[in-house]
Amino acid sequence: MKTTTKARCWTLGLAVAGCAMGMSLPPRAVAEVSDADFNALKETVQKLSEELHGLERTNAVAAQVHQRDQEQIRQLQQKLAETQQLATNTEQRIVEAAQTQPIPRQPIDEATVNHNFMILGDAEVQYAKTSGQHGAFLLADFAPIFLYRAGDNILFEAGFDTTLQNGSSEGTTTNASGQTVMTPGTHDSGASASFDLSFAQLDYVMNDYLTFMAGDLLLPLGTYSERSAGWLNEIPDDPLAVGLVPGAGVGAQLQGAVPLGDSGSFVNYQVYGVNGPSSSNGTGNPDALDLGGNVGLRSDNTVANLHGQPSGGARLGVFLPFPYKPHYDLEVGISGQSGEWDDAGNHLWSAGVLDAALHLGPYFETKGEYVMTRFGSDSGQIHQQGWWVQTGYKLAGLDLEMPVVNNVELVGRYDSLHDGLGTSTQRYTLGFIYYITNTLLVEGDYEFLHSTDPSQANQLLLQLSLGF
Amino acid sequence: MNTTQRKHHCVIGWRAPVLGGVCLVALISFGWTWALAQPPEAESAPAPTNSVAVKAKVPEAKKPLLKRQITGAELYSINCNRCHQERYPTERTGAQWKTIMLHMQARANIPAKQAKLILQYLQENSGR
Repeated sequence: MKTTTKARCWTLGLAVAGCAMGMSLPPRAVAEVSDADFNALKETVQKLSEELHGLERTNAVAAQVHQRDQEQIRQLQQKLAETQQLATNTEQRIVEAAQTQPIPRQPIDEATVNHNFMILGDAEVQYAKTSGQHGAFLLADFAPIFLYRAGDNILFEAGFDTTLQNGSSEGTTTNASGQTVMTPGTHDSGASASFDLSFAQLDYVMNDYLTFMAGDLLLPLGTYSERSAGWLNEIPDDPLAVGLVPGAGVGAQLQGAVPLGDSGSFVNYQVYGVNGPSSSNGTGNPDALDLGGNVGLRSDNTVANLHGQPSGGARLGVFLPFPYKPHYDLEVGISGQSGEWDDAGNHLWSAGVLDAALHLGPYFETKGEYVMTRFGSDSGQIHQQGWWVQTGYKLAGLDLEMPVVNNVELVGRYDSLHDGLGTSTQRYTLGFIYYITNTLLVEGDYEFLHSTDPSQANQLLLQLSLGF
Repeated sequence: MNTTQRKHHCVIGWRAPVLGGVCLVALISFGWTWALAQPPEAESAPAPTNSVAVKAKVPEAKKPLLKRQITGAELYSINCNRCHQERYPTERTGAQWKTIMLHMQARANIPAKQAKLILQYLQENSGR
């Protein structure tokens, strides 16, 4: 019984297992694949294969590009490193230079500098040919003016005149008897230079209407002495009448100017006291008059005026620009000086000067002076007088548009002198100026002289002038 | 000096200065009269010169010269040209012009106010 049950159980178990397997196993595919489906599937596989090959090629190109990019990046990184190294080195050098060199000064505003020294002046070279004599290069002149400004209203100015000349006007020889005699027309060997102080004065501007000056002053007897520099005077030599009055004197002066309205007109004045003229030998002889030799310090170092009283002088002038006419103006002045001149103080020397200048536009100018002096002497009263008038016209006024002509100015002058000692001279001068620049000019003049002095003769003057 | 020479000297003594003075006065009078007779210029610009001052600073037009304050450029042109060729403002520095103007104020004896206007113009147009 027991065996039957056991077999029955095994049979039932196998049956259950067979049912379970039948239920769990999928049914067998029994459908068959057609040729069309197979071909389509084959094409699809081929397409996928081609796409795969394309992707592989693209990937290979991309890999090459990437490799090049990597190479460029590597090179750029190398250059960057070099640049950074260079910048670092440069920065180090700048730091080292800054540590070893002082910090450069910042430029200052020169207009605010309260002290200033400078040199102005002029220089000339002259050639002269006097009738009946050999022509010669007559003059090598250097005339600097030193200016030192010590503040807004204090100025020291000094003018010098340096000229070259032969060693001596006359030479010496020994004659047969052993005596030393002068030989006119020759000269000592070599050359010498003269160094003259034209003026040296301290100017103190006290206010808008008053300036104080002291020193060796340019005297305002007329205006010529203040405007006689070689490049200012349009003719190489001075007018004859200028020699009748001193050009400078040692003393003190007050001067000022007052404007007349707002048109540029003004009135100016100068009042001064100077040692004045003196006698070259102490006597009252008329030919002993010395206009410039009384400077207050004698040759024996004695400090004194050569006579008892100084001289006094003054000038009053007016400057009038024409209304509505730029460069049209008139300047008129009157001046004078008087004082003792001989050592004994017995004789007075007096001078009066009238001066005038007229500009009619930028091209035409005329100016002149009348000079009169009177002085007592042991031979009686001596009367001297002279005058000069000078005219210039710049050819640029003709508006010819010719460069050479436009740089030329024609000048003419008449001057006259009566020295009161028997000599009378009239002189006519014709000439030209060629302006190479506004400060470098060539002057050429011919002078016709008529004089009671037979030693005076016509002459040709050529001069190269530079103002600086 | 003999009689003939003295007579000759006396004749020259009064004739020359009188003749010269008359000529000078006549010339100045002619110039003054002729200048005043000219009609005012349309513009008050200075006449042409070699100065950059005039070229650089042309005054305002359509204003009569007397109706306004004269400028430093005009004063510079008027005063400097009296004695010498005008210098260019660029030739000097401001400090140098200050020294030169103090020198010229004394030498030409021009009013201080005018000198200041000229200096201002020169420094504004100076080389530095």
